[in-house]
Amino acid sequence: MELGKTTFFNCLNEDIEIDEGEFYIEDSNKKRKLEADDVGYVLSTPNVPEFLTGREFLKFFIDINKDKIKNLKTIDEYFDFMKIEEEDRDKLLKDYSHGMKNKMQMLVNIIASPNLLLLDEPLTSFDVVVAEEMKQMLKDIKNNHIIIFSTHIMELALDLCDEIVILNNGLLEKIDMDNIDKEETKERIIMALKEEKNV
Amino acid sequence: MFKSFILSYKLKNTYRVNSIIYSIKQLPLIGKHLPASLYSSKILKILGNIISTISEIINIFLGKIIYILIMIVAVLGMFKGNTANNFIHIFVFLSLAGGMLNTYMFNPTKDKYYAMILMNMDAKNYTLSNYYYSMLKVIIGFLPFTIIFGMYYGLSLITCVLMPFFVVFIKTIYNSYILYDFNKSKKIKNENTPTRIVWTLIAGFVILAYGMPFLNITITENIFYVLFVISLLLGIIAFKYVAQFKGYKKAYKSLLTTDNVYITQNTKKSEVIQKNTLNQIELDKKTTSNKKGFAYFHDLFVKRHKKILMKSAKRTAIMAFLIFLILIVAVKANSNISRETNEILMTMLPWFVFVMYIINRGTVVTQAMFMNCDHSMLTYRFYRTPKVILSLFKERLKTLIKINLLPAVVIAIGLPVLLYLTGGTDNYLNYIVLFVSIIAMSIFFSIHYLVMYYLLQPYNVNIEMKSSTYTLVQWITYFVCYAFIQVKLPTLYFGLATIIFCVLYSIIALILVYKYAPKTFKLRI
Repeated sequence: MELGKTTFFNCLNEDIEIDEGEFYIEDSNKKRKLEADDVGYVLSTPNVPEFLTGREFLKFFIDINKDKIKNLKTIDEYFDFMKIEEEDRDKLLKDYSHGMKNKMQMLVNIIASPNLLLLDEPLTSFDVVVAEEMKQMLKDIKNNHIIIFSTHIMELALDLCDEIVILNNGLLEKIDMDNIDKEETKERIIMALKEEKNV
Repeated sequence: MFKSFILSYKLKNTYRVNSIIYSIKQLPLIGKHLPASLYSSKILKILGNIISTISEIINIFLGKIIYILIMIVAVLGMFKGNTANNFIHIFVFLSLAGGMLNTYMFNPTKDKYYAMILMNMDAKNYTLSNYYYSMLKVIIGFLPFTIIFGMYYGLSLITCVLMPFFVVFIKTIYNSYILYDFNKSKKIKNENTPTRIVWTLIAGFVILAYGMPFLNITITENIFYVLFVISLLLGIIAFKYVAQFKGYKKAYKSLLTTDNVYITQNTKKSEVIQKNTLNQIELDKKTTSNKKGFAYFHDLFVKRHKKILMKSAKRTAIMAFLIFLILIVAVKANSNISRETNEILMTMLPWFVFVMYIINRGTVVTQAMFMNCDHSMLTYRFYRTPKVILSLFKERLKTLIKINLLPAVVIAIGLPVLLYLTGGTDNYLNYIVLFVSIIAMSIFFSIHYLVMYYLLQPYNVNIEMKSSTYTLVQWITYFVCYAFIQVKLPTLYFGLATIIFCVLYSIIALILVYKYAPKTFKLRI
């Protein structure tokens, strides 16, 4: 069913024209319009230039964005951070596995360190071990980034999120999570979804 | 069996009708306002059924008359000797080739895929009933035209009536052989990807079909009767084998893979193209680049795609060179050829618009750029900043022009040299105009393709073609270039006009790219 989550991300990322409204971001209590450089968008399917090696892709990315990247590290440090094995770093991206491509895509977006990071269905294509690594990594970086991610897996949302919104028939609805435990939140989410359907 | 034929026909009709309705809904202006409930509208279904039945009937006859007209009637005039014998000769040998090229049974079509794989219909019943039906169509479709044309060219009525049956027997014999072979080797032959042996046989039969009449050696009606009796006897055995064969399900499971089925279909075609283009990335890891930023990026792209980018341009250049060598020898040896060539060179420059169009690698190169590079990179925000888009455009334009100049330079030098050797011209400007206009055309096409790609980037993230404008522009380009074949103009004036046009077009196109590409160069949604 088309619920519009990809459309929502596309709007935020200015991939499609929005009919009305504006996006704002609050920066040290100052509200300003969302700009292109604020946003990083990681698609659910990995998209990497297959003819480059992992190292070359990072080198190119850093070359282009040198002025914007805060506290630049070496390429190998970035690889270490993303837990990409040394023997894989000089392979063509074409020969990377699905999960590894996803890691690379995530990595360049993290290097750019945008204020707002959009993740479409993250972690779904990772194996168990990598998914756990990624989850940890997202927990680490969420302190100084706004991360919006979409998922169909409720456990993941409950595990990672400070706030949960439900997107149904093009409307966003916030789930109140104050002072309640996971089970109760779960019930509220399901209730909210059922109600929407009955309308 | 009849029941399963009716079922499969209904199934085929349903999606035929649906695709008719779908294309109505795709029409600009009207289409948008039509509701989805159209698909369940009874009247439209009936209308669709009528259209689809009419098209089925037209298809039965149209294909056959076109075949006979183009493959046989059109060429008969070339041969001396007995026309009746030539007619039957070409028909027989083309049928032998066609039996392998067009089996009906082993063409991996959507129809078969839907019916046998998705709907799980009984493979044997489905295949046999549809096979008999298509053979019936062959007979009915051919019969009027073999009789009309055959008798017109002097064949007896009996021969004309037997000819379509000959085709059916040949096809069935070959099909039974494929089934027999599948039983032994467990490999099924896909009619769309013939093996080298099959290609050689097909080519052999085609050469015999046209070559022998050329040398005045043909079969006669009597020999045809002998061949017919042989095909009849073998055909009966083959029909029996086909009817009793048990492994249809297995055979089709291995034939009707999604790759085979969808390769002929547009929606998935691009995926197959992408798969192929990805395979073109060369693994040599030693290729590196000392450049920086997007120049580094582009440099590596070019180096890792050398084959797909350069090979064909090199080949064309060598071919052009050889053709010029042959022509030089020819004009030196024969003064008639020399005179004619000189005349052609002075009036037929428009013809080279089409030649330059054909040899231009723009489509393939931009396609490779998209499939292996932009498809993934355009999802990154930084890649879509005006600075990156335009710098990369510049790098790519340089590369594309370079690739296309390789064969263009050979032609651009070859033409004036040929002109000089065939007696030259009074106006020396002609030499220069020939050279410059060919170079200008080459650069023009390079710019044209790349600019179109940047302004109309037609694909979405799933590599589906989303822009009909892009297709339209490609068609227009083709037709305009093709139309130039008909034009005869003095080289001097046409050449000068071409040069001016190319320069103006290039300037305007580049301005447009610099102005609009940052907006238009993105993945379609």
